[in-house]
Amino acid sequence: MRGAQRGSASDLEALFEAHWPRAHRAAYLVVHDAALAEDIAQEGFLAAIRSLDRFDRGRPFGPWLHRIVVNRAIDAARARNLRREAELTDGSAVEDAREPVDSSVLAALAGLPPEQRAVVVLRHLLGYTPGEIARTLDLPRGTVNSRLRRGLDAMRETL
Amino acid sequence: MRRDLERVEVPDAEAARERAHGVVVAAYGEREAIPVRRRPLRLAAVCAVLAVAAVVGAAFSPPGEAVVDRIREVIGVERAQPALFRLPTDGRLLVASDSGVWVVEQDGKKRLLPGYREASWSPFGRFVVATKANELAALERDGDVRWTLARGNVRSPRWTGSESDTRIAYLDRSGIRIVAGDGTGDRGLSPEVAPIAWRPGAGYVLGQLQASELRLQDATTGRVISRARAGLATEVLGFSWAPNGERALVVHPWELTVVDPERNTSRPISFAAADVVGAAFSPTGTTIAVLRANELVLLDPAHPRVRTRVFAGEGPFQSVAWSPDGRWLLIGWPAADQWVFVRADGGSIRAVGNVSEQFRSRTFPRSDGWCC
Repeated sequence: MRGAQRGSASDLEALFEAHWPRAHRAAYLVVHDAALAEDIAQEGFLAAIRSLDRFDRGRPFGPWLHRIVVNRAIDAARARNLRREAELTDGSAVEDAREPVDSSVLAALAGLPPEQRAVVVLRHLLGYTPGEIARTLDLPRGTVNSRLRRGLDAMRETL
Repeated sequence: MRRDLERVEVPDAEAARERAHGVVVAAYGEREAIPVRRRPLRLAAVCAVLAVAAVVGAAFSPPGEAVVDRIREVIGVERAQPALFRLPTDGRLLVASDSGVWVVEQDGKKRLLPGYREASWSPFGRFVVATKANELAALERDGDVRWTLARGNVRSPRWTGSESDTRIAYLDRSGIRIVAGDGTGDRGLSPEVAPIAWRPGAGYVLGQLQASELRLQDATTGRVISRARAGLATEVLGFSWAPNGERALVVHPWELTVVDPERNTSRPISFAAADVVGAAFSPTGTTIAVLRANELVLLDPAHPRVRTRVFAGEGPFQSVAWSPDGRWLLIGWPAADQWVFVRADGGSIRAVGNVSEQFRSRTFPRSDGWCC
């Protein structure tokens, strides 16, 4: 991080290689659309680069990036759901960019609302504690716990 | 659970990583390349207020750090010209400001058409159709008024046609109306008010965005020719056509929708954040310029995931227009009081400062068209 702030392209590349796969995967698991997930993760990195000079070196980069990516993924998934609901009411011919859901865990995740998906991904893919998730999403800790519980219960039923 | 989530295959993951790597590395390289300057003096008062807020915020809470960051933001292109001396390529601009509509020639000469709020060019750029609150007027470029029509709450004038015959579509209190280019034959076309755009090509076919569909109506007969799905009708920021008339472009804050009325299909092009400000097809129709809050990107509508960023800054930006030859783009940067002309190939930028003062406007002037 320090090297990237000083202008080292190789350190920037190392930062990208270390954080891209998880950021991309987290976005995909929330939005279930590979192209949109790519955009979200990419823009998370671009936002990071724009703010690189102002970034506090004492703080870890990963949680900061995950906060941007997961919040944007929730917004994108909500917007997509709204658009589909509105269009399905009149038999839309819009091309659906979402990927066909194949794996069982992905199918179970797909059945959750975006907010629950995000909490499950933050907890079980990225390994954050409920307290850290509450800070990441600006939610009360109780809300995080209940979303996590409901999400996992629903997934268990599907699996 | 963790193992299961890590096993889920993300489609196209390696190609996505490579694309993102290219974009991120390029953006990192550009980081120092875009010259910026401090906020102009006229923002000093705002900065002073923010500075007090920053001190208080930083003293009492960790989130105060974000306020401090805002103070450090830099806005504007450093080497901006103090005035618009000339346009970077052929054509003329229409500019809407508080004082009226301005015609800007390629050599930088400006003429004010006072009191008008909105305008658009005639098909070959010889005339201008402009609106006041209750008047539609056709004018020569030098300001001579050819004709006027008194109508209530007139807006969105759009002019189309050939060398010998033209039509103007506009909105008023009664809905969508049509009038011939010589001011005759004014009549209602539809009682519904909606975003409108003439479809390029033969005949007078007007596209309208009505309740999630693109409706094509023959302006001569009044017959509705076709209806195509066009995504949500809410929050439409822009509506235009590709130059060949085959596809329409609907702009929302969170996505673009490319509509093919012949096939009755619409293709959404989504963005990760709802920060799209405007978008337009290039004059060749092969590229779409997308202006977001703090960047200008170009994309091929056939491969919308591949995006080329040609300009970026702290923003927020406002409005985008292609030059008639497709070589330049004009974007507005209200916070810096600048217009930025960006070469479409990313080769160079030219910025013009003091835009509001030049067009005698308290609000930031808006480009209403860059014509032939």
